[in-house]
Amino acid sequence: MTIQTMRRVGGMIWVIGLVLPLIASNNWISILSIFAIYAVVALSQDVVLGRAGMYDMGHAVYFGIGAYTTAILNTQYGVPILWTMPIAVVVSALFGVILSAPIVKLRGDYLLVATIGFNEIFRMAMVNNVAGITGGPDGIFGIGVPSLFGYPIMSQGGLYLINWVLLGVVLVLMNNLEKSRLGRVFRYLKEDELAATTLGVNARYYKVLAFALGAGIAGAAGTLFASQLATVSPSAFIFMESVTLFAIVIVGGQASIPGVLLGTVLMFVVPQVFRDLAEYRYLVFGFAMIVVMVLRPQGIWPRRSRPE
Amino acid sequence: METFLQQLVNGLTVGSIYALIALGYTMVYGILKLINFAHGDLAVLGAFIGLTVMTGMAGSGAAPANWIVIVAFVLAVLVVAIAGVLLEFTAYRPLRHAHRLSAVVSALGASMFIENGIMLIWSPQTLTFPEGIMPDTTFHYGSVVISATQISIVAISFVLMLALYLYVNKTRFGTAIRASAIDQDAARLMGINVNKVIVSVFILGPALGAIGGLFIGVYYRQAVFDMGWIYGLNAFIAAIIGGIGNIPGAMIGGLLLGLFSSLAGGYISSTWQQAIVFGLLILILLVRPTGILGERVAEKV
Repeated sequence: MTIQTMRRVGGMIWVIGLVLPLIASNNWISILSIFAIYAVVALSQDVVLGRAGMYDMGHAVYFGIGAYTTAILNTQYGVPILWTMPIAVVVSALFGVILSAPIVKLRGDYLLVATIGFNEIFRMAMVNNVAGITGGPDGIFGIGVPSLFGYPIMSQGGLYLINWVLLGVVLVLMNNLEKSRLGRVFRYLKEDELAATTLGVNARYYKVLAFALGAGIAGAAGTLFASQLATVSPSAFIFMESVTLFAIVIVGGQASIPGVLLGTVLMFVVPQVFRDLAEYRYLVFGFAMIVVMVLRPQGIWPRRSRPE
Repeated sequence: METFLQQLVNGLTVGSIYALIALGYTMVYGILKLINFAHGDLAVLGAFIGLTVMTGMAGSGAAPANWIVIVAFVLAVLVVAIAGVLLEFTAYRPLRHAHRLSAVVSALGASMFIENGIMLIWSPQTLTFPEGIMPDTTFHYGSVVISATQISIVAISFVLMLALYLYVNKTRFGTAIRASAIDQDAARLMGINVNKVIVSVFILGPALGAIGGLFIGVYYRQAVFDMGWIYGLNAFIAAIIGGIGNIPGAMIGGLLLGLFSSLAGGYISSTWQQAIVFGLLILILLVRPTGILGERVAEKV
């Protein structure tokens, strides 16, 4: 399959997704809703990890900052959900810049450990109710639904469509990133940072930019997450979430859009479907992660080495 | 002053436990350049096996006799060492030459597997350790309380660390371990069986980790299946503070982290204790990423 036909097939699948609310049951719609949100977060993790090559194991922080921004603005100040999204994107991206600027110079594993640290500090800040606005361990309740042209969107199907549209926008963005100069700079930095700097690439600037971009997109997903669940709490943005996001990219395939989407299905959707096996879920999950890595160290659907 | 001394005593105890667990991280990282995320869970496995042996042989709740305690420690060490080698063979060896992140995800998977395995075999609840595993006499100096358990933990940890230090620095096989950590290929050319060295590291590290895990259970008198990641993370931070890959570094890092963590909890804020520790970690990474004893490595071009 050439890249072009893959894009066409992907686009068609996305369009089919638009009519799903008409036929699928509510249970499936809510699973697909969650899939769309986490797919966006996973794609944003991939910008930092798979494309720019930085071992970010604290990406749930930016997702969480987006969700908390929306939750606080909506419940405290009555800002409509969709209006909070641009603010959530900016706030998350800003945190991406502030947190990453001092650490992007760190090599591989050191950066990984520093981002784990950020994740824990973030969780504790939320639990300890920093500035008295995060609601402590229980989080924030009663977040509203988005409304379009004055009409609140109450149905599962409506919420799903909004998530699906965001996923579509992010997919187009990723597709463009793939073809753009920025995407090539990221890849160059990942493959050979020294060579890239020799050719005049400002490594620090682009690495921070990758974090800002990844954090901003995760923030947008955070807005929809807060509204979808009507509540945010620290437990949704713990280190384990970051680990799962990290694993999605590596298990699916770094810098591979279909790989990341497939990874999201395996790591978030499959566990939802097998809820009945809750007890054994993570045991099987951990085992599967080892098996997949041993059998396919490059990921299940790796990026093609040479774009056609 | 007395609070300070008390925190010092507590910090030293926790610090020597961190140091024991940190050694496993640092030895594996030194040779494979891999963060063994499953190491903390192996330590917890040691705690649970030890507890089962003690309650099984002495009856639940009863103070186990000394020989039972020794049997418990030995069995925990044996089983966890075997688990460590199995881990190496199944999850890490096939990925020796793959991209580094594949091994990282495999390690995360192994961590999840062991953690949830412990939950399924034992219990999702917190289990209580019996009293009197170690002598529970306490000594009072003013208002500073030192328990015999604390003294035992610190003393045993020091003896074990000294033994490891001598083994790695004074024996022939120890030299092979250090050589493999510096340059695997060169070590192989000198006739060192690097695979054997790696297996030995996956025996020594988890064995010490199992003892560390059991100490956690004995000291806090409880164990829960998912405590591995927070103790593991702290031990890993200790390894970084000392200079990852450096064996004496892990010992010093563990002690310093234990002291720092206790003092931060006692003087600044107990709810922010762990966050302060992470703050220190990030600060150290920024100022001196190679840790206290780590050597600066020139970047290969």
